[in-house]
Amino acid sequence: MNQNNKLTIPDLISIGVFTALYFVLVAIATFVTGVIIPGLSYVLLPAVAALISGSVYMLLSAKVQKFGAITIMGMVMGLFFFVSGHFILSFAANIVCGIVADIIALSCKYKKKVILLVSYTVFSYGLTGPVLPLWFMKDKYVANLVERGKDMAYIDRVFSHINMGTFWLCIVAILVAAVIGGLFGQKMVKKHFAKAGIV
Amino acid sequence: MFQLHPLTKLYLLLLSNLLLFLRVDIKTEMVMTLLFLLPFLGYGKVKNALRLAGFYYGCILVDLFLLPHLEGYAAVWVSMIVVSLRMMLPCIIAGAYAFSTTTIGEFVCAMRKIKVPESVIIPCMVIIRFFPTIREDYRQIRNALAYRGIASGKGALLLHPIQSLEYILMPLLMNGNNVAQDLSISSLTKGIGLTGKHTCMTEISMKKLDVCYMLVTLLPFLIFAGGKV
Repeated sequence: MNQNNKLTIPDLISIGVFTALYFVLVAIATFVTGVIIPGLSYVLLPAVAALISGSVYMLLSAKVQKFGAITIMGMVMGLFFFVSGHFILSFAANIVCGIVADIIALSCKYKKKVILLVSYTVFSYGLTGPVLPLWFMKDKYVANLVERGKDMAYIDRVFSHINMGTFWLCIVAILVAAVIGGLFGQKMVKKHFAKAGIV
Repeated sequence: MFQLHPLTKLYLLLLSNLLLFLRVDIKTEMVMTLLFLLPFLGYGKVKNALRLAGFYYGCILVDLFLLPHLEGYAAVWVSMIVVSLRMMLPCIIAGAYAFSTTTIGEFVCAMRKIKVPESVIIPCMVIIRFFPTIREDYRQIRNALAYRGIASGKGALLLHPIQSLEYILMPLLMNGNNVAQDLSISSLTKGIGLTGKHTCMTEISMKKLDVCYMLVTLLPFLIFAGGKV
């Protein structure tokens, strides 16, 4: 690796700044989904976040254009999720998706729009981390309902419906939202930053 | 007034996650939550501690007293909200404590101690430093928009979501870009790019209290595991 491909201090600071913005957008998405569907907000949170934060991702990848930027963004996001009281597996999900997204983006040297879009979609799946505790919780609230003397068959029916349905809804919603958000982001970066000569 | 070591806070966070993993019974969970709340009180953040405690024990009360009277879908939904909230809260309490009582200096010092690479520490520092700037920028952007008669008033942003996203996010990004440049220059001047070992302004060390607290918080787990066998 020559000097040009290594992350410099200014790069690291840019990553920090954009990750902070990304984090704020995710926080907004959490708030919005929490207001719309309390209790199940985690299912749609990744999709809403993917929808609004495309421009941050596209600007970061256009500005730094080196391997590591997206990985570090995922890692730091995971760290902040963890420290702010989210489930520890969200840390792992963020790192894995960050690295995969980075490799995909590297394959076109951070230049081809379509591939960047794919990489953004993969990165967005990192946000499913906070959804994972639902698996652990499901048993808990089923047990809780049984304890309270509710009919088991009835509970099963409700949950089989909710589980597979929401799972696919979550996956598909992220895909659609990430593509729309990514396209919007690319358009914005072209309109505001490429013309101004910043990237 | 007492303050825990950042690594102790990290340890508490891990424990709170372990609560979810191990699916402990409700007694253990309640005791642990109390233990997570204590450092909050010790730091003097009584109001925060009471609010979180209210949430947590409120959930338990709803669970115990309201739920038996509900039927059908209502029971499922209430149980889902209450139980999921209750299970997340220990993590959130531990996280809120770690987040709101640690200064940047202490945080960086602790991260260096556990040998986190510098390329992760620097973005973390920048993020913490940058949050207040975002809030300030946001207020200025809203003022500027209102001056031109765009999105003035509370709910106006929601009427044109795409437009609001563009008009608010783009200046934030633009400004973030400039801030990144300024910060790079100023921190390079202060020698952040130097190789070799970096020192910290704030020195932190493990105290007896930290060790004690680590052991005390481990106890409920051991009792729980012991009761299971």
